[in-house]
Amino acid sequence: MSKPSLIAIVDDDEAMRDALFDLLQVEGLSARTFGDAGSFLASVAIDAFDCVITDVRMPGIDGLELQRRLRALGLPIPVIFVTSAEDEASRAQAMADGATAYLPKPLASAELLHELSIALHRQSG
Amino acid sequence: MSSLLSIDHSEDAADAIRAREMLRHDGACWVFDISRVRWLIQAIAAGSRPLNWVDTLLAGTVTMDANANAVHLFGAYAGRGRMLGQPVPAYWPSEGRNMVADLIIGAVTGRSRMSSRKLRLKSLVLRDPVLTAWISDSGTLPDTVFLSIVAEPVDDRSFWLLRTSEERYNNLIHHLPFAFLEVDSRAQAEIFDELRRKGMRDIAAYLDTNPEDILRAREIVRITDVNQSAVHLFGARDASELVGPVDPLFAASPETARRVMVNHFEQSRNYSEIMKLRTLDGRLLDVSLSVTYPTRPERLDVTLIMLEDITDRLRTEAQLRQLQADYTRAARISMLGELASSIAHEVNQPLAAILTNAETSLRWLSRDEPNLEKVAQLTTRISDSARRAEEIVQRIRGMTTRQVPRPIELDLNEIVDEALLFVRHDIGTRSIDLSVRLGHDLPNICGDRVQLQQVVVNLLVNSIQAIQQKGAARGAIEISTEQNEGAAVTFSIRDDGPGIAETDIDHLFNSFFTTKEEGMGIGLAICQSIITAHGGSIHAANRPDGGARFWFSLPAYG
Repeated sequence: MSKPSLIAIVDDDEAMRDALFDLLQVEGLSARTFGDAGSFLASVAIDAFDCVITDVRMPGIDGLELQRRLRALGLPIPVIFVTSAEDEASRAQAMADGATAYLPKPLASAELLHELSIALHRQSG
Repeated sequence: MSSLLSIDHSEDAADAIRAREMLRHDGACWVFDISRVRWLIQAIAAGSRPLNWVDTLLAGTVTMDANANAVHLFGAYAGRGRMLGQPVPAYWPSEGRNMVADLIIGAVTGRSRMSSRKLRLKSLVLRDPVLTAWISDSGTLPDTVFLSIVAEPVDDRSFWLLRTSEERYNNLIHHLPFAFLEVDSRAQAEIFDELRRKGMRDIAAYLDTNPEDILRAREIVRITDVNQSAVHLFGARDASELVGPVDPLFAASPETARRVMVNHFEQSRNYSEIMKLRTLDGRLLDVSLSVTYPTRPERLDVTLIMLEDITDRLRTEAQLRQLQADYTRAARISMLGELASSIAHEVNQPLAAILTNAETSLRWLSRDEPNLEKVAQLTTRISDSARRAEEIVQRIRGMTTRQVPRPIELDLNEIVDEALLFVRHDIGTRSIDLSVRLGHDLPNICGDRVQLQQVVVNLLVNSIQAIQQKGAARGAIEISTEQNEGAAVTFSIRDDGPGIAETDIDHLFNSFFTTKEEGMGIGLAICQSIITAHGGSIHAANRPDGGARFWFSLPAYG
């Protein structure tokens, strides 16, 4: 049996961060929250995360930049975008950089959990 | 040949005599040709007095010359042309014509070569004028009669000048595009004198307890003359319809009558106000009323009232204000368009949290053993987020609904915080560093919350767009509030965008000036009109180290 999955939630909006954390909790998933991409990238055990859920628009390093930096570090962690930035350019950029999913806010939780399970399965498999 | 010369000579001589005779007296002088009425003069000299002999005589007495004083006396603005070649009744007032006729007969028939009478002509402003008629004693001008009016004591030209200026005044009044009323308020002045003798000092209080005095005044104070513009303004048939009590003037504005009386009593020189006027043909006008009360040594029977119809002007001003309000609102909505995505994002954030929390709650509740503690916690969060969304909606509504500006006591720092709500996200997601330094213990200001928020949002959006225009990877906006030396509070915003082009800096706040396709520059004109309306001022300048700085100051409250 593989180690329990650990998910990073990166969102500048505190209410959304906490909501996502609780959603994962009810499904028995462990998560850690970060208020901005910088503090996530600076965390010691970045490779311990099995998936990143992040917004696109954020102060400082935005979601797209975060994904690029992970790739630049050679980390293939799946990234799921949850965002109200629904412009096509951002979506295309995110997918081109290898995003797992690009979901609109407000979010259907079932859809997120579905995408998450695919990502985690792929990750562990 | 010689006869021609002699005729020339004799005509020259006649001119010389006439000129010499005209200088005999100071004052007004006329030269008359009586050849056409010599028969009548002779008949009268023989003892007969035909019916209407005065009229017949004067109608045949032709004016050959008149000096400047004579022209001033009767000629009015038609001048000498109204006299030369004309019979006497063409310009002479009906008063005193009998005397002129008598004097001409006396002079011609030689009862006395020079006959003089004291004249009583009320229509002239002369003191004790003396009228003299004579013929030249050279004997060469038998049909020529000279007539002079001399005021005694001879007071060089002051009478004539006075007469001239009065004529000018009459002409001026008659042709001015404003309605003039000459009003005789002596009857009221006497009542005021009597009240003063009795020790009454406070006219306002007196009229409060004796309102019937105002009604009486409107009857006893009379309009004595009006000009053509007044006839037109009142929609009257002619001037005579307006001559009489001033009462109709105040029909639509009874309180005006009271204020005009108070100023009269207090011996003001002038009084003006804007009042409603009901015209004789039933129109209701807005007029500007100016009263000039007479003071000695002026004629105390002439109070001057000037009326100017400003109905159209007021209507145009009201329309202009409405247009400005509509324009401001339109621009505000256009600005909202600019901010729409930012606002949508702002509202969407709490909605997303609400939805996720609600679905999470349902998941807890669907467990065999529902975790109620967790559900309670999530429900609290839902309620918090809903409140946050509601606040945002309220603020947007505040900016879009049309409402009359409501000045209240405000904290500028709060305004800045609220304005930041609209653009905070935009700033954050565009890699702009925002620094906010709000001054401590700022005095409050007085103003309209929404309008001032709008100014701050506008300036913020301006800075964001400037930074975007520059296209640099990162930008910086610094906001500060502080109290300056005078009793004023200043808001200042700096950005590190491209700055303002030198050619633009002077008309940056002009309406419709914009350097951006989106038209946000319109916002600066509105910012200025709002700040000016709040008694403040707004400025723009380039920073020495690049970028622009905008700041406005508002007077501290109280």
